[in-house]
Amino acid sequence: METQGVRAVDGAEALASPPSAGRARPSGRLWELDVLGHVWRFFTSVRLALVLILILAAAVLAGTLLDQAPPSVFADPASYDQWLERARTKYGFWTDIFNFLQLFNIFHTLWFKLIIGLLTTNIIICSLNRWKGIKTTVFGARVRMSETFFQHARYNASLAAAMPMTTAAERVRRALARSHYRVRTETDGASVAIYADRNRFSRFGTFLSHLSIVLILAGTVVGGVLGFKDPEFIVAEGATREVGMGTALSVKLEHFADEYWLEGPPKDFRSELVIYENGQEVKRGTIRVNSPMSYKGVRFHQAFFGQTAVMKVTDASSAVIFDEAVPLAWQTREGSRPVGSFDLSGENRTVYVIGPTSGENDPLIPAGEMRVEVYRGDTGSLVAAENVSQGTPKAIGDLNVNFVRETRFTGLKVVKDPGVNIIWVASALMVLGLVMLFYFPHRRMWALCKALPDGKAEVRLGMTAQRDVSLTEEFKRLRERVGLALGIRPDGGGTAGGGDDV
Amino acid sequence: MSELSDYAFVATVAALSTAILLYLVYVLGAGSLRAFSLADGGSLATESANGPYTTAGRYGTILAVNAFAFLTASLVFRTIASGHGPFANMYEFSLAFAWGALALYLYFELRYRLRILGLLVLPIALGLLVYATTVPSDITPLVPALQNDLLLTVHVAVAIIAYGAFALAFGAAILYLVQRRDSIRWLPRSTVLDEMGYKAVTVGFPMMALVIILGALWADIAWGTYWSWDPKETASLVTLLIYGGYLHARVLRGWRGQRSAMLLILGFAATLFTYYGNLFFGGLHSYG
Repeated sequence: METQGVRAVDGAEALASPPSAGRARPSGRLWELDVLGHVWRFFTSVRLALVLILILAAAVLAGTLLDQAPPSVFADPASYDQWLERARTKYGFWTDIFNFLQLFNIFHTLWFKLIIGLLTTNIIICSLNRWKGIKTTVFGARVRMSETFFQHARYNASLAAAMPMTTAAERVRRALARSHYRVRTETDGASVAIYADRNRFSRFGTFLSHLSIVLILAGTVVGGVLGFKDPEFIVAEGATREVGMGTALSVKLEHFADEYWLEGPPKDFRSELVIYENGQEVKRGTIRVNSPMSYKGVRFHQAFFGQTAVMKVTDASSAVIFDEAVPLAWQTREGSRPVGSFDLSGENRTVYVIGPTSGENDPLIPAGEMRVEVYRGDTGSLVAAENVSQGTPKAIGDLNVNFVRETRFTGLKVVKDPGVNIIWVASALMVLGLVMLFYFPHRRMWALCKALPDGKAEVRLGMTAQRDVSLTEEFKRLRERVGLALGIRPDGGGTAGGGDDV
Repeated sequence: MSELSDYAFVATVAALSTAILLYLVYVLGAGSLRAFSLADGGSLATESANGPYTTAGRYGTILAVNAFAFLTASLVFRTIASGHGPFANMYEFSLAFAWGALALYLYFELRYRLRILGLLVLPIALGLLVYATTVPSDITPLVPALQNDLLLTVHVAVAIIAYGAFALAFGAAILYLVQRRDSIRWLPRSTVLDEMGYKAVTVGFPMMALVIILGALWADIAWGTYWSWDPKETASLVTLLIYGGYLHARVLRGWRGQRSAMLLILGFAATLFTYYGNLFFGGLHSYG
């Protein structure tokens, strides 16, 4: 019984669905070239898609499990070597192997992009390949099925109706319509063929959800080519800084504030910004972590903050050569002290300003002092270093340095990404496609009403098995409805086939 | 309000534990009586005639519904007490995950009358609640990155539905592996379990995609990038890829049974990793 059922499934499938999805051989002149034909067939394979998806999952998993070198570190061989040395303490022997396989920078490697490229090609070609078959299923489904179809359909039933054929057909039609099925009929002298389906457009969900992936990738490319990103755009309070990157914008920080909950965690970080275009004020406002500001497609996000030291430097002739807030936005390798620097190119000097370790007594730099280290600009050799107390100028080498006061700086992320809208549209299409596909699946039922010699009618129902899902319950429900419409009690009448999938 | 939430939590644990015991009595007792017969196979339901064990099962369901109601109350009280959705730290996430697993399970029990799945899903929910007792349950104020009421609520609410659905699929897959030769008379037929796993994934998969998309949208607002390969983002992508692989294998290549059950187990491992991964890997999601 069961084994017969299996054969019946395949037979019914072959009868029911037009030869399409997956197995169709591409036709047309272009594909007569066998090389292209082979390439095409290679990409239509679902097995390829599965292999690619699983490789991609494994690669992404490796990217989660292993430390990834930040792009800025990876771009600079020297700092990448340093990074690797630190990684060696964690991964030991494996470090070189992982490094050889580029596993410390997975998401930016060529092979990762290659997998994504292959998968995209696979998606596009599979979609093209399935287009015709799905279109036929949605718009051109057969209404009349043969006797053999009803004999072998996975789910089938035969009901005896004590009424003329046309009446029975009309009742079946209405019963199916009441179950929210779309009904088509074809009549010839001896029988009425009925085809009913629901959610047929659900089939197009496949294309929406797959092509949205391609669209999302296109969005990332558009963003990469036409956009820019400055993740560490630092502006000190009172200072104005040019955005650059081909824009005519500059940003002034009026004020930065941070607030904390009584329990300790941060409550609010906000920057009051003014945006200038070609020197003219065009926008002003307060940005917070969850409310960025945008001007002509350039967005300003609150990313981080810190302290600055306002430094005033005079040269031997007492002329002021520097008077600005120096953001202490980096950390020293030893002691993790906040550090910032500025260049005095006229003097061939680079000056580092180092603040005390926050939150504890720093033995080297007491609170209220800054350590100032002066280096030669060309050779990088140390000229002199001194601690400078706030408000007390001090001679360091041939410079006179004053630590005027502390202020704050804000760290912004400045982003322009024209691809992002493509990504949101694509995302909406993806969710729409998936919801159509899985929450409103396409269901199809065929019926055949035949006139019997005694003036009564025989109604046959058939539903094909779907490979992915059993329709047992749906078929049972419809059979009951149709039976009731024909005046047959749910428990009796008719012979029913079908059951669970095998 | 905070205390009410704690009382409701205790009530949840009590109701859920008792429900699991009753499910156990139902399943083992019914099994020993061989109350289920394969002749029932035509329908998805495995319920048979009345009997003491069926009664135990019915009370088990009632208690599970009660546990669900208590847990809902606990989350509501907590929301009122804290002034934001109960999604701000690991304690709240765990309660919400348990809520999602219970909600999805009860929906499936109601719809397909497959009480047996409860024996696997309810302990998962209980495990999450027990885990919650081991992490600090203080109400924590929202750090600036989380101060987006709409996205916090929708992003996490959708996530717990997806996770709940995947927990259910996991339960079905485990039962499938136990029952793959249809050798245990009191378990549903293996095809039914296989089907149930698939249905759960079809509920969870679109939700999981939505979670990732909402997360990307939020990241774009708060951090200025929709994707930064943060560990939690990446792990959620792995999860989506595994279930995507499962769907393709099953729908287009006809994978059934053991192979697809293994994928469901792998998928749930990835789900748990997504859920707890940030505890081990830090990253932008390290709030709790």
